[in-house]
Amino acid sequence: MRAALIIAAKDLKVELRSKEMLSAMFLFSLLIVLAFRFGFSNAVNPGAAGLPELASSALWICFSFAAILGMYTSFAKEKDRETLDGLLLAPVDRSDLYLGKALSNLIVVFFVDLLSIAFFALFFSFDYGGQALAVVALALLGSVTLVLVGTLVAAISVNTRAREVLLPILLIPLIAFSVIVPSVTATKNAMVGGIGDSVQQIESVAAFAAIFAVLGYLTFDFVLEG
Amino acid sequence: MRMDRKKLGTILVVVSVVLILMTVYLAVFFAPLPQTGVKSAGEILSSVEGSKLKVAGFVSAVYSIHFGMLDGPDEVIFSLADFRDYGRYLQANATHSLNQQWWTVRPIDIKSISGGLNSRMGPNLGGVIVVGANLSMDGIVTSNTIAPNSNVTGFSLSSGSGNDITFGSVGSFGLMTAPVAQKIFYFHMPSAWACYLSFGVTLVGSALFLRTRDHKYDRVAYSSAEIGIVFATIAITTGPVWAKQEWGVYWRWDDMKLVTTFVLWLVYIGYLSLRAAISEPSAKARVSAVYGILSFITVPMSFLSSRVAPLLQSSHPQVIATSSGSLSPQAGMTIGIAVVAFTVLFITMLIKRVEIAEAEEELEELKRKIGDEE
Repeated sequence: MRAALIIAAKDLKVELRSKEMLSAMFLFSLLIVLAFRFGFSNAVNPGAAGLPELASSALWICFSFAAILGMYTSFAKEKDRETLDGLLLAPVDRSDLYLGKALSNLIVVFFVDLLSIAFFALFFSFDYGGQALAVVALALLGSVTLVLVGTLVAAISVNTRAREVLLPILLIPLIAFSVIVPSVTATKNAMVGGIGDSVQQIESVAAFAAIFAVLGYLTFDFVLEG
Repeated sequence: MRMDRKKLGTILVVVSVVLILMTVYLAVFFAPLPQTGVKSAGEILSSVEGSKLKVAGFVSAVYSIHFGMLDGPDEVIFSLADFRDYGRYLQANATHSLNQQWWTVRPIDIKSISGGLNSRMGPNLGGVIVVGANLSMDGIVTSNTIAPNSNVTGFSLSSGSGNDITFGSVGSFGLMTAPVAQKIFYFHMPSAWACYLSFGVTLVGSALFLRTRDHKYDRVAYSSAEIGIVFATIAITTGPVWAKQEWGVYWRWDDMKLVTTFVLWLVYIGYLSLRAAISEPSAKARVSAVYGILSFITVPMSFLSSRVAPLLQSSHPQVIATSSGSLSPQAGMTIGIAVVAFTVLFITMLIKRVEIAEAEEELEELKRKIGDEE
């Protein structure tokens, strides 16, 4: 467990020095929200009644794609700079490596989630109406699940040709019902002040987080072997 | 040994061909047609309104019914309202009495849930009814908001909020508009079963490969995944053929069974894409085994698609029930033989596909040897 924290700290330190991924993801989430703003400019006026539905969907598309970008980079970078071998030679359990990577990914992804939530309010003149905290909490929960499965799948895809295409192909179907659909519903309910209606959705996302964590913990070893 | 396997393969091919032909024969000539007819919504509702409602459904292995309770273990109070017209099918949303914001509520008491149930019940607990259970419940229908002129052929109940009773079998007046199209069910449901079975074999093969590092398990895993995709494709294409006739639309995005099965199909396409993108054989086997295990979570999602993800409305099991609320013995026998036929077909295809995989690997090996000599 300590090893996991050290690996996460290492990743974050590298990131804070280069700010490569953070700046890319900052722009990426900015542009996704902007793309939604332009794309839906005829469909919604600020303050329109359907805005919570649009907002929750748009936010989760934004979270998912930004997370895919972030998780892809976290392994691709190690592979390209040939630091992955060093990491694998380090005397730590591979499962700790998984948890460490997932933790550093989570921090970066969650940071981008916060940015997107803010950008959305800004560009759509959207008022979270005192529910911003609930939206943030749901983003955190969904991101935990996303990152737990995403880190494993990113490690799978980094072994392949065409890895940047393959990651979304492998990941999106897996997160469709484990993260995106329940989170979108829960976020929409939260935005209209009824987070209490989404107990089942929240339970389901949390249950998938547990399933993915166990699977990742048990199988990560095999993915990065050799 | 090899000779014996070849013989076994031939026997299996013959047996599966015979069984499939038998299924075709039974489905066409033996299984009875479901009752047919169209009524206007007003007609159905006026006969329903104020009357005692009895909903009965037969539940097969693939089409599970799930229900949960909010109020307590003894009683579920819900109302039947907000009928919606989906194509030619009428669907009712049943909701919990506390949750009144969408429609007028007058409660129905469910008097009994009987039959061979295997379920857990309690506040907020879902129940899963397994193979061959009969479900019936009584209630009083009291309110509705549908346009009375639309033509409908039956109704089903399903959850309005995801928290209440959720089930979707045809009620006692379930009538089908396209009784002949229903025959495709004898191929649709067994293919869905065979695809779940194939992906289960992929899971086991992947896990055994990671444990033993024996490539024969990897061959079984990916051969089975390939065959599973074939069966899944049959299931998700025969479904729309029926749906177009019965519902008037090919696909319903609000039916979770359809959508989760589609996602299942995508995940295993991803599995094959992953294999195609790795050239080194041992890395290919190892990495795809992990994904093969991970992919399997979509199988229970599709199989149990009324509870696992909580959005879940599925009126999919409608097709199971004939007008009497359960399968007739002839239909039951046909579906039984169809399931056996598809299972044998799967086993046959798996054995053949594994043989091909072995031959392919042998060929690669020979090519490599020739390359080495040069």
